[in-house]
Amino acid sequence: MLDLIVIGAGLTGLIAAHTAARAGKQVKIVTKGLGATHWHAGSIDVLGYYPNSATPVQRPLETVRDLTRARPQHPYAILDGTLSDALKNFVALAQELGLPYAGAANDGDNLWLPSPVGAARPTFLAPRAQLAGDLRRPEPMLIVGLRGMRDFYPELIAENLNKQGHRARAAFLPLDLITERHDSNTVHLASALDDPARRMKLAAELKKIFQPGERIGLPAILGLDAHAVALDDLQAQVGAPIFEIPTLPPSVPGVRLTNALRHRLRQLGVRVEINADVIGFHAEKDRVLWIESDASGRPLKHRAEKFLLATGGILGGGINSDHTGKVWEVVFNLPLTTPHDRGEWFRARFFDPAGHPIFRAGVPVNREFQPVDANGGRVYENIWAAGNILAHTDPILERSLEGIAIATGMATARSACNLKP
Amino acid sequence: MKRIETEILVIGGGATGTGIAWDAALRGFRVLLVEKRDLTHGTTGRYHGLLHSGGRYVVKDPHSAAECIAENRILRKTHMHCIEDTGGFFVVTPEDDNEYPDQFYAACARLEIPCEEISVAAALKREPLMNPEARRVFVVPDGAADSFQATHSTAQAARQAGAQILNYHEVVQLLVEGGEGDRRVVGARVRDVARGEDVEIRARMTINAAGAWSGVVAKTAGVRVDVIPGKGTMLAVNHRIINTVLNRCKMPDDGDIIVPIHTVSVLGTTDERVEDPEHLTIEPWEVELLLREGEKLIPGVSRTRFVRAWAGVRPLYQEHYNGASRDATRDLTLLDHKTRDGVAGFLTILGGKWTTFRLMAQVTMDKACEYLGTCKSCVTAQTVVPGVEQGHYWLGHRLREVEEHHLQSELVCECELVTRAMLENAARNNPTLTLDDLRRDVRLGMGPCQGGFCTYRAAGILHQVKSQNEKGKSEEPARWEVAYMQSPAHNQRSAISDQPSAVGGQPSAVSGQQSQFANPNLLLRDFLQERWKGLLPILWGRQLKQERLDELIYLALMNADHLPDENATSPMSEFYARIAFSGQLSANSDQHSAFSEEPISRER
Repeated sequence: MLDLIVIGAGLTGLIAAHTAARAGKQVKIVTKGLGATHWHAGSIDVLGYYPNSATPVQRPLETVRDLTRARPQHPYAILDGTLSDALKNFVALAQELGLPYAGAANDGDNLWLPSPVGAARPTFLAPRAQLAGDLRRPEPMLIVGLRGMRDFYPELIAENLNKQGHRARAAFLPLDLITERHDSNTVHLASALDDPARRMKLAAELKKIFQPGERIGLPAILGLDAHAVALDDLQAQVGAPIFEIPTLPPSVPGVRLTNALRHRLRQLGVRVEINADVIGFHAEKDRVLWIESDASGRPLKHRAEKFLLATGGILGGGINSDHTGKVWEVVFNLPLTTPHDRGEWFRARFFDPAGHPIFRAGVPVNREFQPVDANGGRVYENIWAAGNILAHTDPILERSLEGIAIATGMATARSACNLKP
Repeated sequence: MKRIETEILVIGGGATGTGIAWDAALRGFRVLLVEKRDLTHGTTGRYHGLLHSGGRYVVKDPHSAAECIAENRILRKTHMHCIEDTGGFFVVTPEDDNEYPDQFYAACARLEIPCEEISVAAALKREPLMNPEARRVFVVPDGAADSFQATHSTAQAARQAGAQILNYHEVVQLLVEGGEGDRRVVGARVRDVARGEDVEIRARMTINAAGAWSGVVAKTAGVRVDVIPGKGTMLAVNHRIINTVLNRCKMPDDGDIIVPIHTVSVLGTTDERVEDPEHLTIEPWEVELLLREGEKLIPGVSRTRFVRAWAGVRPLYQEHYNGASRDATRDLTLLDHKTRDGVAGFLTILGGKWTTFRLMAQVTMDKACEYLGTCKSCVTAQTVVPGVEQGHYWLGHRLREVEEHHLQSELVCECELVTRAMLENAARNNPTLTLDDLRRDVRLGMGPCQGGFCTYRAAGILHQVKSQNEKGKSEEPARWEVAYMQSPAHNQRSAISDQPSAVGGQPSAVSGQQSQFANPNLLLRDFLQERWKGLLPILWGRQLKQERLDELIYLALMNADHLPDENATSPMSEFYARIAFSGQLSANSDQHSAFSEEPISRER
């Protein structure tokens, strides 16, 4: 019998499975898809904007303390001070995986990284390849695009950076330096740059256009499997600091992080069953005995002592809804916190700083991250919930998506497996 | 103030107005058309796309039906590439009256509308998702019409015949001269919205083709025109669940048609008399009604994924009418203000349908000719517009060109197969203030992701076009035909050609150096808000998930809600921000959201 089944293979699920497996537990992941990690920037947002404030957060761990006081039901409040340790554990893990992450030079500050449209993006930890983009650094930037690449616009980035007082200029190189393909996306391009010969061609062209003292921003395509080597190699050949700017999905930095974590899980003997949509479960009294997945056209039962729900919210597919205004959790039909009426789901402006109420829909949990009902009573004794499915937050609006994923993924795995922090 | 002299001034850049400009130019008149926004921004661009066979009105409004079938036959030739030859079914569902179908069949025969009854089994073979409980099915020559492309093609034909077309030129005031009993409209003062300048246009004849806005225009000359604005709401399913137009075989009512058009299927419509044609509110009951009625034609349709809801307003007209807009005639009406109101030099054309726009133009110009003292006859029924050599539109046309010419990496909008060259050419050659203008040109952002990926790409590409122009290294104006603006292959060829611009190329505001609207941050913000507006009424299920991905992209990845120039606005910003869904939206508030965060109990 397995100790734990994790449902979902986004960042939350991978971190939770890793935490349990590393402590010697028998763990399996059952998942429909690959999670939202492939869509975002590959960085670790902890808190970018305090709810209803347009001012970016400077020191997120300190501001999180204010947030937890003001909102005792927020997932960060339930974590009860373990956020900071969780992030340290993540940094140590990423180092072990050969995909090092770090924060701002001034410890505890948010980084300010250029977004693909040239806005200053507040994030707490970033892969090494993004760090030289920190907008607190004084060196002027050369943003280099590839002519014909549809997901990266260096002139737009440079213009917006200049408007915000950061010196930047744009340049283009031909796309066929990297690939001859007609239907390439960012992952293909990154894969092509695993090849040293192509990197050499790219480096030679970069050397021609950069001016001494500049740092070079490129789309996040600097290698996939050989990323660490690719980055060092390019910087050494060009002789300038180089940084990646994340692109539209698919996100190469996100893919690298997922791949690295899955590689480690394989080493730890954790199976990841993909394309296994959980379509049912069986409970006796308040204990779930098995879940059932619809895999390869036949239903399959998965038994375990404990189950950890990391299916994501509306984005990940853990929460669904219909035109009558019904909103439900798709695996266990757990009680949800949601607006009562479909008329209350949205605000009139897409960019309303208060966000859209429906995107705060989530599973309410107790202090151990076990789902509860309207009276605060535990629904099942052996179910835990973590990540984007949790109630009382809008992590995309707050820019807290990965912070919540990592910290609650670790905390729930510990809680479920009775591990010490 | 800039002054322009012309013979005929046409107000309104919808199907009717451009049709009049085309007809007038072919008859040899100097003609100028003004449209306050983009061509087809009004009702023409907000309709379901049904090319009527006349079947819908054959019992209720036979005169209108006869016009429809005659025009249907003509438009299939003159605007062939704008029409998909889908054919249409009239379906008798178990809900429907048993006597109507025989009346319907007899009336079709009387008006010579081709109508053939087929077995339900044969109908299901063609449309497997149709209600299998249907009792009878009739086939008629309905079709699906691309009203954006048709209007652009008509406008192109008009330009080639010498007409001048100015969009983003809004009528401020009709110019009236003469005293009591001898009053006469001699043109209009219009505002160039993009530049904020007024222009005076003097004309011998002014034709009001402003549709639902006709009353507003006429009022500036002291003439009262009571349009009956009949709002119709429509919903788009994210793919082609049918390939034939489905009509209920009964008296026309709410929610009884489904039209396959381009990549989507449109459920329509409601019919509500409204006060304001500008800001249309989509009521939750309308959405529910369309889903409920749609189920009767296609069981399960309410559980499919919807990508959009929108409303258009029919410019119906009946003198001294007070009833419901559903029962107002669909006939066209030409108001001769000289005989009606004692104001010469001024005509208003109202009513009708998209299908009869050419006829409306003909009737209007026949009357204008009487006053202008010439008797040139109408030739639009025998004249094809540019682009017909492409043959009927068919669903796979873009995909085939993209595959044959290996344009996969050029796709800016994967949902609707819009290439970079299509977008650049449209932006360079068609007046463009917003990305929504390009949507009407090339279908940018009209697919399932509703701008999630292409908004950023389009803003980036337009910014590149602009900076190339500013650096003075603009490429030679491409050889570009408006009639081919939806063709990936044609645009790819013209993008690399150095031929001079074809007739009708106009400077684009977005690429012009002076335009304040070329701000990419504004383009991006405006278009996301514009898309949001039409999503609100149908956001649930998988489309809600999609929208959350769009939020991840524009908030978490781009931080586009904290870009510079946050106070910049375009002439359209306020329109996009006026929300059209009255579901008691949560009020804008800088406080913590007002809804209850108490857990709700489960439904087991």
